[in-house]
Amino acid sequence: MKQEKALKAPSQAKVLMKRRILNLVPIIGLLVLIAVYVFVGYWEDIRFDKGIQAIINSSVVCAVVATGAIFIYTLGSFDISLGAATLVSAMIGAMAYNATGSIVVMMLVCILVAVGIELISSLLAAFLDLPVFITTVAMMSILNAFALVLIQINGTGDSISIPSEAVDPFDNMAFKLAVLILYLIFAVFMFNYTKIGRSQKFLGGNSLCAKLTGISMKKMAIVAFVLCGVGIGLGAILTVTYAPTVSRNTASGVGMNVILAIVFGGMPVSGGAKSKISAAVIGAISISVLDQIMSILQLGSGVGQMVKAVIFLAVVVLTSLGYRQKMLAR
Amino acid sequence: MAEPILEMKQITKYFGTTVALKSVDFTVYPGEVRGLIGENGSGKSTISSIAAGMQKASGGEMFFHGKSWAPESMIDALGHGIGMIVQESGTIQGISVAENLFLGETKQFQNAFGLVNRKRMNEAADAALNAIGITDVRGAMPMAAIDFQTRKLVEIAKVVMKNPDILVVDETTTALSQDGRKILYDVVRQFKENGKSVIFISHDLDEVMEVCDELTVLRDGVMAATLSKKDFDADVVKQYMVGREIQGDYYRSDYDTPVSDEVVLELKDGCAADLNHLNLQLHKGEILGIGGLSHCGMHTLGKVLFGADALKQGTVMAGGTQVKDESTAMNLRIGYVSKDRDTESLNLNASIGDNIAIAGLDQFAVNRHLILRSKEKEYVNRQIENLSIKCFDGEQEVSQLSGGNKQKVVFGKWVGRNSDILILDCPTRGVDIGVKQFMYQMMYRMRMEGKSILLISEELSELIGMSDRLIIMKDGAISGEFARSRDLTDSKVIDYMI
Amino acid sequence: MKNFKKVAAVALSLSMAFSFAPSASAAKSTKIGVLVSDTTSGEALGFRSYYEDYIEEQYDVTFIYSDQLEDAAGEKDAIDSMIAQNCKAIISFSSFDRPAQIEQCEEEGVYYAVATGTLTDEQYETYKEYEYYVGAIGPDNDTEFQTGYDMAKYYLDQGMTNFGIFTGAVPYYTEMHIYRVAGMLTAMVEAGGDDANYNGATDKDSIVAQIYADGCAISTGSIGTVNLLSVVEGYTMDDAWYASCEAAVNAEGLEAFLAVGNGADFFAASKPDSVKIATVDSYVDSLGEAMSAGSVDYLAGKFNSSIGPIFIAVMRAIDGNPLRTDEGYALALGQGYWVATSYEDFQTYQSGDSVESPAYTKDILDQYLEADYAAFAEFVGAYTYDDITNVG
Repeated sequence: MKQEKALKAPSQAKVLMKRRILNLVPIIGLLVLIAVYVFVGYWEDIRFDKGIQAIINSSVVCAVVATGAIFIYTLGSFDISLGAATLVSAMIGAMAYNATGSIVVMMLVCILVAVGIELISSLLAAFLDLPVFITTVAMMSILNAFALVLIQINGTGDSISIPSEAVDPFDNMAFKLAVLILYLIFAVFMFNYTKIGRSQKFLGGNSLCAKLTGISMKKMAIVAFVLCGVGIGLGAILTVTYAPTVSRNTASGVGMNVILAIVFGGMPVSGGAKSKISAAVIGAISISVLDQIMSILQLGSGVGQMVKAVIFLAVVVLTSLGYRQKMLAR
Repeated sequence: MAEPILEMKQITKYFGTTVALKSVDFTVYPGEVRGLIGENGSGKSTISSIAAGMQKASGGEMFFHGKSWAPESMIDALGHGIGMIVQESGTIQGISVAENLFLGETKQFQNAFGLVNRKRMNEAADAALNAIGITDVRGAMPMAAIDFQTRKLVEIAKVVMKNPDILVVDETTTALSQDGRKILYDVVRQFKENGKSVIFISHDLDEVMEVCDELTVLRDGVMAATLSKKDFDADVVKQYMVGREIQGDYYRSDYDTPVSDEVVLELKDGCAADLNHLNLQLHKGEILGIGGLSHCGMHTLGKVLFGADALKQGTVMAGGTQVKDESTAMNLRIGYVSKDRDTESLNLNASIGDNIAIAGLDQFAVNRHLILRSKEKEYVNRQIENLSIKCFDGEQEVSQLSGGNKQKVVFGKWVGRNSDILILDCPTRGVDIGVKQFMYQMMYRMRMEGKSILLISEELSELIGMSDRLIIMKDGAISGEFARSRDLTDSKVIDYMI
Repeated sequence: MKNFKKVAAVALSLSMAFSFAPSASAAKSTKIGVLVSDTTSGEALGFRSYYEDYIEEQYDVTFIYSDQLEDAAGEKDAIDSMIAQNCKAIISFSSFDRPAQIEQCEEEGVYYAVATGTLTDEQYETYKEYEYYVGAIGPDNDTEFQTGYDMAKYYLDQGMTNFGIFTGAVPYYTEMHIYRVAGMLTAMVEAGGDDANYNGATDKDSIVAQIYADGCAISTGSIGTVNLLSVVEGYTMDDAWYASCEAAVNAEGLEAFLAVGNGADFFAASKPDSVKIATVDSYVDSLGEAMSAGSVDYLAGKFNSSIGPIFIAVMRAIDGNPLRTDEGYALALGQGYWVATSYEDFQTYQSGDSVESPAYTKDILDQYLEADYAAFAEFVGAYTYDDITNVG
């Protein structure tokens, strides 16, 4: 046996300290990104007021949808149809506005359609006894095809539009932040202060143990998808009010950005006890700030994608390392 | 005294923050059967597995035959003279017994064309099995065709045929029948007679004292004592294991306490994969023991009664309601502790508090739904206190706890929500003596409070010691039933199991 | 996890400090944002090269390019970001929601111009008086229609009657491709004899309407004496789709295959020698090779420097000397493609519009920095290779 110096086991206090610091790391990461942004911004002499506006505008839809998606990711599952669901909800919402002229009807329709889509995905999974992400894969194809059908039914070229005057009153920071904050409060409440949220977190950690504690995966998956549906609906509303022309690629980047945001926000992709709502918002803003930095530096989409991919991989590997190290004492 | 065959000096081992071994010195001499005993988590398996190459020490050095010893793997160690029979099953079901025995070493049976001569391999396997007195298993048999206990014997043959200088036997006997144990004891004796050494690890104090010449007791990763045969005394050894004198009774001491006639949980004509038209009643204020070999169906029975496993036929009734799923069972105040603690009873990545609170959300929720941090903390802390769970706080990850404290957390889940019926499947498996005694006392207290306990166990002594009534199962059916009695012994019961 | 994020960010800021120091000096130059929905096509790269490798060298401007854009929201995000970076104007190659782009720029006081397309009549009526809307120069729907029409006519005039069509993004309701296909079909109807019609439609407007009515699916069949033998649609790019491409160019009796785009990519390799391929694309090397090999026969393509005039219009707006129509409205000028029907044509056009010496050189463009509307309109309208060389 090699002569090794006896290692000191870390003390309990150090473990606690480490736990707290680890919790703060995503926030620290965001602050560092902001610092870089400010540095680069001063260097290039940008208009920070407009820059902040750009960051919020480009992150709010992702933040809202990701907040909803946290419920799904917590279960250790995922929904690949998030972008397509946002698209179809926004389209039908826009068509509802064109039919009724009522912005309230449009908003309700957006939410109802999104909740309906998520309900179908999860009920189908429960009914067919399949992992729910499987049905979302099918749902993504169906929704994308359905979007083309809607464009055809609507019959005004390659997109569905509503008059920008109609949504003007809602295309402002106050409305966006209000939607985001209200939904966040709702999500945090559901997640931390109800049996539902607590059960979902537990399910993600060990579904077998959860089952033996009387928690039904199927029921909780349906609830999670419905809660996420509300987020998708709000995302659709924010999409239509921001850019009232919905085309077949609208929101196509949302699905990928949501995954990135949740990981950047410091939540394990496997879900479970370390899931947290804050990951969605911190992650979404982090991505937007990163995008702004890339844009200012004119690094181009290739480099931008690569930087994101590298950070993504690094974060996932490092989070899973934490699990791997935890070998059990015999 | 002769030169030691194995010397381990200042061995230290960490698992994350947990200290498994603290500068332990351990020496084995030729021709010696050395017992290793200690509570779970005391480090007894860790130190032997380091010697046998299964894991590496964090610090210290080892000498084997006087030379520096640093095995790369278990195979490396076995090849150089230290072989270990492990706790977990190490056989592969899809292939034959001979292929298991010569796994990765079939080259010796290859002919000129590189093809394995099966006949020769099977003959060699038969010889290896004969050598340790196994005659009913042959090399050509598929592994899947022989039962769980006999598979363990194949593992023993696999290690013994390499003729190691030191044989490490780690908790092997618990998986063996009486006949199997006899075979293992013969192997141990042969080793001793041939001047070779055995390190014998077991939970079973009586067995260790019977088999071994010298006994080393470990406690919390340090050497507590090493005793010679003449000094063996169960009470003394237990004291070394726990580190204090055990107060009061180990099991319950009453024998005449009446049990109510009221049936609180009943299985009628239950049929499942390994349950065969089983009828069973649990009464109010009763500890009903269920014993048998591990594949007799008793573990399935536990899950069925909790609504976790579906019945092909028959019903589970509790208080006039049919138990169809886990949540119905919980509403009927039934709790279930699985034998697979780390995979089925705990969420290891969550905190102690999360694990305790999850079963009791409806207990402390305001208006049945609103979960408040303060109420939850109060609830969790109450369980931590009641069960004396040794931890930093409720936020600590449950995976950092020792086996006994983990099991206390599982108990906390069900005791906290005031369960009236507890289905306990091997609740003291991998739990140290101190915690075991604590749990026995708690079971008894709950029984006296009128709660009912179904105790499924593979340890006959605990079943006999705790049960008001003991049912022995075999092949999915009841093979024997015994009332609580001072005269009930292992030997009276064991025939009904096999 | 996360030390990495810190390290990455620090590394990022350091790399900026070193590698982007030179751009600080350029920061004083006028910034113009460029919105691009497709950043990787040969055409887009050609345009970008003209702006970044020629115009930036000749004028004191810096172009800030957007990322690949997917939807209307992406356009708004990109404009936000460009405004934050002090861009004085936006030149747009992206058309998910033009009105929204115009409104946003008007509100922010940033000039806006459409580079390769035009507004609909209705949109133009709405925005022509906007102060910050510079205008549009590029192929309008009529030009697109004419492009398809000319392409089909080229072969019909040679007496061919058996055709196939690649309709590209028509099933996705993309107007540009719908008008090109409508042009092809109209030419076929005109050549197909008295009773010729396409699903009952006989002229430009009714054929466009019919395509929409049919759900943007083009049907094969006879158009009088002309036969439409095969149609490939969409960009599914799976095995079945590639098989359909191969089958389409190998249809029995096929003489010419007309592609609204990407004709060389999907059809040239598997066609029989006798079949002629016509396509709308750009003047990139790969197409030159295809034309020289005879695998592509007819090319209608934008030339890289065709976006020179809109740059001049934008610069004049920024410099306070905007180009408006005589009524004071924003520009709406049509500009078409260069059509090559031989490799010689192709070579002439390509060498006549290189990065080193583009068709629209600084010398030519500078002549219009002070010119009036009529002169500018005439300059843009004369977009053919010969026209431009004569101007030079």
